[in-house]
Amino acid sequence: MSTALDVDAILDGLDQMAAARPVAAQVVATCNDEGTGAGELAAILGADMALAARVMKLANSAYFGLSGRVRSLQLAVTVVGFNTVRSIATVALSGIDSAKDLPEDFWDTSVHLAAAAGALGPRFRLTTADALCLGLLAQLGAALLHQADPDGYDVVRATTDLGTERFSAETLRYGICGPRLTAEALQQWRFPIEMVDTLRAVPSGADGVLLRTAYELAARLLDPAHRRTGLEQVSHRRVTESDAPRVLTAIRADVAALQTSLGL
Amino acid sequence: MTTSARSSARAPDPDPPTHQQPHQQPHQQPREVVAAVLHAVAADVGRATLVAELTDTGEPVIRWSNRGASELLGWAGSDVQGVRLDRFVIGSDGASLRPLFRRERPTTTAVSLRTAVGETVACRVSTIPAPGGLLWAVQVDPAHSERELALRASADALEHRFKVMAERSPVPTMMSEQGMRLGHVNDALCVLLGVTADKLLGTGWIAYAHRDDEERIAETVVAVLAGQERELQARFLDSQRRVRHTDMRFTPLLTPGVGDGFVATLEDITERREFEERLNYQATHDSLTGLPRRARLWEHVGATMADPDAGLACMFLDLDNFKVVNDSLGHTAGDALLVEVAHRLTAAVRPGDLVARFGGDEFVVACATGSLDGALEVADRILRVLSAPVVLDGVEIHPRGSIGVVLRGPDHHSADDLIRDCDIAMYQAKSRGKGRIMVLDESARSAAYDTLSLVADLRQAIEQRRITLSYQPVVRAQDGRAELVSVEALARWRHPERGSIPADVFVGLAEEHGLVHELGELVLETACTALAAWQSQLGALAPPSVSVNLSALQMNDHLLAQAVKRTLRRSGLRPEQLCLEITESALMNDPDTASTILRQLRDHGVQVAIDDFGTGYSSLAYLRRLPVNFLKVDRSFVAELQDGHTAVVQAVISLAHNLGIGVVAEGVETTSQIRMLGQMSCTVMQGFVISPALEEPDFVDWCRAGRLLPAGTTP
Repeated sequence: MSTALDVDAILDGLDQMAAARPVAAQVVATCNDEGTGAGELAAILGADMALAARVMKLANSAYFGLSGRVRSLQLAVTVVGFNTVRSIATVALSGIDSAKDLPEDFWDTSVHLAAAAGALGPRFRLTTADALCLGLLAQLGAALLHQADPDGYDVVRATTDLGTERFSAETLRYGICGPRLTAEALQQWRFPIEMVDTLRAVPSGADGVLLRTAYELAARLLDPAHRRTGLEQVSHRRVTESDAPRVLTAIRADVAALQTSLGL
Repeated sequence: MTTSARSSARAPDPDPPTHQQPHQQPHQQPREVVAAVLHAVAADVGRATLVAELTDTGEPVIRWSNRGASELLGWAGSDVQGVRLDRFVIGSDGASLRPLFRRERPTTTAVSLRTAVGETVACRVSTIPAPGGLLWAVQVDPAHSERELALRASADALEHRFKVMAERSPVPTMMSEQGMRLGHVNDALCVLLGVTADKLLGTGWIAYAHRDDEERIAETVVAVLAGQERELQARFLDSQRRVRHTDMRFTPLLTPGVGDGFVATLEDITERREFEERLNYQATHDSLTGLPRRARLWEHVGATMADPDAGLACMFLDLDNFKVVNDSLGHTAGDALLVEVAHRLTAAVRPGDLVARFGGDEFVVACATGSLDGALEVADRILRVLSAPVVLDGVEIHPRGSIGVVLRGPDHHSADDLIRDCDIAMYQAKSRGKGRIMVLDESARSAAYDTLSLVADLRQAIEQRRITLSYQPVVRAQDGRAELVSVEALARWRHPERGSIPADVFVGLAEEHGLVHELGELVLETACTALAAWQSQLGALAPPSVSVNLSALQMNDHLLAQAVKRTLRRSGLRPEQLCLEITESALMNDPDTASTILRQLRDHGVQVAIDDFGTGYSSLAYLRRLPVNFLKVDRSFVAELQDGHTAVVQAVISLAHNLGIGVVAEGVETTSQIRMLGQMSCTVMQGFVISPALEEPDFVDWCRAGRLLPAGTTP
């Protein structure tokens, strides 16, 4: 069964949400400017206490190894990186941080994806922080699909495995899958085009290998009944099954650090 | 899927523009403006622009293209018109182009372009919906211009070169991406820690930092991320859990648009540190016993006392009769005994206690306890284990020691205070019969403080030349007259608060605290100067010579003869005008050295007398060889004369006569003693009955007056 989904209407809706969080919108816009310094970004961020607190908490998390030692917002911005600040602001901007009607296990999945992508980043010539942000935001589209069609999306979620199977089901039902919808939203907010294209390539495409592998690892951690796809195949041999135990252990540790600090 | 199409498409507005409407939408512009823009776009060869519309099935079809599109695709405009866009433009990984065509907003994505010659070009395509909702402008740009490609290739090559350089560098290097998270490590770092790179990336490396250094490393990283360059020494544990000491040098790194990280090099200084530690160990530990030396003891006690609540007891151990072992079995056996004692002490103390060799046969134990009972338990155990027999050179020895114990109290402000007090307690233990443990009591401490204070005053008195001399005439008693033949200079110290301090007390202190040299020189100088003054002042009435007492310790001073010569020269006296007196017992401490020094003095012409003769244990054989001018009969023998005990005095006088040397009687206090001595042919004497020791002005008067002996001194 297919459901009429007006992507433009959804994106319009996001614009309205953004208006309610002007600081977050300004943070996203400022991060997109390469000439911006940490001091400038911190000054803007400081106007939104909730956002600033989240960045401080993340900078002081075990994930960045500096637990409790980052005392200024500027240093916190430096520690977590601009991309991460932008991602946190994006979550606020989209309204999903305070939304009640989210797919079940939405944040659990997002944090697992963030930790998995972060851990895999260097193998794909991406910085951990950039990969982490991709993972953290990848499910934004799924949240938007769920908001547009709560019951229908629950059915999709309940009947499909996290990963390519679900992307296909989403595309079949809505004409667009979650990560691609995320890409459209991020394009709207003028995220770097490489990031947008990477998210567009998640269902298929060479650029999407990192996130597809992250989805596979996250699914293994989240769902014991997950039907596995070989890591060699999904990662184009960048990760092997023999790496899996060590990688999964590292991801589990990062998930714990991120969950606490992001308060998600 | 069906995406709801907006049906509000409107035809271009034909109204002419007015200058009041500068921001009108394109379709509201005058035809001339639209025509001008269209012309420019149509003729633009720098950028490919097409116009597409969606067919009924939702497929984009090309309706129009400009010259730039013809250049890029290799097809004439007329060839592509009406052709499906996906014939030329391939979505990323074959994805449908349909999502690009949104009626509400422009969309950009990466695509591949297939040209007329079959070439595939990576492009970026943007679709901009026209106001009518039916058409889209499609702008196509090569993903990378030739200049961009060249710059990227150059940057890639540069990055590769730096990467190779860092990876092959023998200096362990790490590079963070964010905070403490590492993005790169080189081979040398992996070798240093004995692990593969994947275990160090992210925050994995922190697990290899020494737990005690983690905090400092993190604090340093915080400062580096704030833009500072920093260095620190930090320890890491390799895969075998071996400690590697490193010099870490951090430099901040700024990645535009990302944030800040750092690069750090780690210089392995483990071997250097081990060498330094070995040197430091050798400097702070005794090479014979391996125990810490004094400096280490002071450091340990000082560090413990820095905590006002830390309990601490110190015990001072001195081996009893160690000198006997050294003298009888030799130094090798003595050393072996010290090593054995060190082992036993180390085994007897508790973990956390420190055993140090204080020097010679002295050891100090610093016990980490605030309980006197606990400290005494340790002291008792030490004495017990110490007394087990040791066989040295086939001889069984039962070592014994005296231990002084002191518990840290409010009066102890430094390591000096505490160690000094346990030293005092040890002396108490010795003085009460060795082989025992004594806890410092207040009276002993007061006495020790008193002595220390007196020594300080004595040092000052010598410096300020406040040690004075009194003079006792030495006369030849003959025919009822006292002929002045010499004068004995006697050192006096009048303490400003304590009054007169007996000579044996302050000379003893001077000997014990290393002041004897200064004191001896002062006395010698003063006496010689006085005699020179008297001679010019009194002429024939002045004493012909002056006697000065030497301390036993001065008899070990090989520079004594030179000092005496110097003093004589300064005062203008002839050598025979000076007589140096040395006690019999001091002489016998080291007879060979004494003999050498006395011979030097005698050779110069200085006279030598043996004081208190008969109280020591002089070997007569030595005495014969010693270059001596006089024997002085000890006052105790002179005192016995009246009781009829004349044998010793007679023997000494006879011995002197037989050896051809002079004899002087000391401590003559009665006329009958004068008479009896005269009868024994000893006419040179000194004593209270002739004259007590006099202050300098009184002595001058005495000389001037000339003296008759008291009645009854002649037989």
